[in-house]
Amino acid sequence: MAAAVGRALTRFLRAYEQRAILAVAAVGVAVFCVLPLGVLLARVALSPPDATSAWSSSRPWILAARSTGLALAVTAVALVVGVPLGVLVGRTDAAGRRVAGLLHVQPVFLPPFLLALGWFHVFGRRGALGSEATSAVLFSEAGAILVLALAFAPVVTSLVAVALNGVDPSLEEAARLVARPLRVIAGILLPAVAPAIALSAIAVFALAFSELGVPMFLRVDAFPSAVFARLGGVDYAPGEAFALVLPLAPVALALLGLERRFVGRRSFAVLGLRASERDRLKLGRWRAAASALVWIAAGLSGAPVLALFWRAGQGDGFAQMGAWVGRAPWNGLVSGAVAATLITLVGLIVGHAVARGLPGSRALDALVVLAFVTPAPLLGVGIIDVWNRPALRPVYGTLAILVVGYAGRYMVIGVRTLAVVISQSSPQLEEAAAVAGAGFLRRLTGIVAPVHARGLAFAWLLALVFCLRDLETAILFYPPAGEPTTVRIFTLEANGPEPVVAALASAHVAITAAAVVVGAWRASRGARG
Amino acid sequence: MVTRPNRVHRATFLAGLAVLASVGCRQSSREVVVYTSVDQVFSEPVFRAFEQESGIRVRAVFDTEETKSTGVLNRLIAEAGSPQADVFWSGDPVRQMALVKRGLVEAYVSPRAEGLPPGLRASDGTWAGVAARARILLVNRERLGTEAPPRSVSDLADPRWKDRAAIANPLFGTTTIHVAALFTAWGEDGARSFLEALKANGVKIASSNGEVKRLVVAGEVAFGLTDTDDAHEAQQDGAPVDVVYPDADGLGTLVMPTAVVLLRGGPHPEAGRKLVDALLSAETERRLAESAAHMPLRPGVATPTGVRSISEIKAMTVDYGRVAEEMEKIQPWLRQWAGL
Repeated sequence: MAAAVGRALTRFLRAYEQRAILAVAAVGVAVFCVLPLGVLLARVALSPPDATSAWSSSRPWILAARSTGLALAVTAVALVVGVPLGVLVGRTDAAGRRVAGLLHVQPVFLPPFLLALGWFHVFGRRGALGSEATSAVLFSEAGAILVLALAFAPVVTSLVAVALNGVDPSLEEAARLVARPLRVIAGILLPAVAPAIALSAIAVFALAFSELGVPMFLRVDAFPSAVFARLGGVDYAPGEAFALVLPLAPVALALLGLERRFVGRRSFAVLGLRASERDRLKLGRWRAAASALVWIAAGLSGAPVLALFWRAGQGDGFAQMGAWVGRAPWNGLVSGAVAATLITLVGLIVGHAVARGLPGSRALDALVVLAFVTPAPLLGVGIIDVWNRPALRPVYGTLAILVVGYAGRYMVIGVRTLAVVISQSSPQLEEAAAVAGAGFLRRLTGIVAPVHARGLAFAWLLALVFCLRDLETAILFYPPAGEPTTVRIFTLEANGPEPVVAALASAHVAITAAAVVVGAWRASRGARG
Repeated sequence: MVTRPNRVHRATFLAGLAVLASVGCRQSSREVVVYTSVDQVFSEPVFRAFEQESGIRVRAVFDTEETKSTGVLNRLIAEAGSPQADVFWSGDPVRQMALVKRGLVEAYVSPRAEGLPPGLRASDGTWAGVAARARILLVNRERLGTEAPPRSVSDLADPRWKDRAAIANPLFGTTTIHVAALFTAWGEDGARSFLEALKANGVKIASSNGEVKRLVVAGEVAFGLTDTDDAHEAQQDGAPVDVVYPDADGLGTLVMPTAVVLLRGGPHPEAGRKLVDALLSAETERRLAESAAHMPLRPGVATPTGVRSISEIKAMTVDYGRVAEEMEKIQPWLRQWAGL
């Protein structure tokens, strides 16, 4: 009798194993992403006047339209810079591409405000290359678009470069027999990495739309400033602030819809296992020009970071840094690493479900995108509402709350990246294993994860980078004496010695770059081993 | 083939959880939690000195320049259901009134507050002042050339300075307080006209007082309205700037002491009282005077060279309680004015 019950239970669990695991991941999404937004929604529901007063004047509409325009322009420029650069760095024999690529991605390790500060040191009226004219351009919409586009272009570059390394070499090899490199790139490689390009466009649009620091610094009106005015001003009105961002929900859904329409449910012949075996595309007579292009773009991206290094070098910034850095790098690295791991685990399950079109997965996908698009300070208020309770003090008063915040805001990185990666592989292997009797967990850990080991490592690293560069989420609820480096840079920025602030920013770039290089090296060793 | 990355991830995750758990469980009775909008660069050395003297660990949350005074204040309000902090050290004498109004403050008459004049402490023990800043005009000598420098806050609206002056966004920081003080002094119509005139005069609205300092130092504008500690920082860096204490022959200069409050329901009330006592000491005033050019409020504290004492300037007559009320009242209009 007991054996029969046991067998029935096993059959039941096997039949529903995938749904049960997806449900666990859904609980993760609910706790990290949905709950904070849910409590804010409840506030608005309890106080309908908040919603009406927030949108009663024309100003929020104008600001929303301006921010949409700004974000679209930033996305367009970032794609124009990032896609060709991703191809050149990722797949060609352009000279010095690795070093140039590393220089190019550095801006993404810093909150954009610090990059704007770096540009100010270069193009401000008294900057290294500054004049009245350059200052006028910097402090304008065009300046904001360029600063943000150069800050976010590395997101496009790195996603395209990594995706190109995942394209099945046999496709490319076949094409190269009959076509020149440019034709191979345009006809084979770029269509193959369309999902990655679409993903990067969504990420850049969302980042640019919700960016607060750069528009404020460059005195450009933007929608997040209106939200922030209701959270950082004297009349603290989180309900009204949330009412302001409610229209972002359809925007987030529209983004997802666009991506799906653009990419569709195409399955690409991409595997990612033979990446290290292929030859790089030979550019021939175009090599010099392409190399120059790579280095110009890298120089432009690296200029504000180099300006910060230069500023740190003046006035003993690096020597004094030790007295001010505290435990901030440790706080950021620990909480970031744990959050990145959570994000990758949930991302693997939900991303797989999205890639395979399981019921409910689209809703989860939309929710993580919504949490990402929501301005971070608002998500922060929701997190305080949910987690600041006496029973939860071991979470709220410690580094664990940073993990909660990072996971909520950047869950989209794991879900979307892994959805794209997994959607590019055939489900045949999984189906064969299922026929042979392997349960879902076994297929997930024994087939999906191993086949996509590089994708998993990339998702983890990308999530880590986003956590390490985060400022706007953590600033609202970081635990006492538990601030990450970005927060410390900002709290010290108020009257702190400029060279020390620049040195801290430079050290933060170096630490993040080191984490990425070590992580990429370990991942590449793991994939080979 | 791929077990290694999984193992690495698992190990990282578990190690991280262990670290987080260990940090989470470390609740010490010999500690105190303080939230402050006094600049970290000035307040942290004060906390370190307190730690050395008392043996009590200070865990601090600092404000950023952009959200100055409202970031941690709003966090205190958001956390009111389960207070996390014992002490709030405000960078100005107005913000803490919002906490008093919401019943989030524990009255505590510190023995160190006894010598203070009545306007610089609450009679019911809800707050007490220590070391003050002033709102000044920071002028770039090189950008100014041979022109006569501005002398009044009203010069911001003078066409002579069209497109050449800056203030911080009046929705945040001490600029909010300054604007509210002007509303109390000039009345609603006068203050509104002044702010509209600023717009017409092309005054640049920076994100913070620190940003105003940066714009003046870089010569982007000829002068800007900011705080004495920002000006002191610029002068320490050797920037070509001068400080003007505005309206010496009129309204007077706005002076703002920092304010200390003990919070109700904080996790370490006893240690909180000790920190309040330490922050209200003459030693704290001396430190802030030396590091941040704050003006001491206690007569016995020497004023370092280069720092003016309150008696040397004409201070604006102001009731901080009224300014607090005015500040809340004008917010919707100010948001409209700022286009937000």
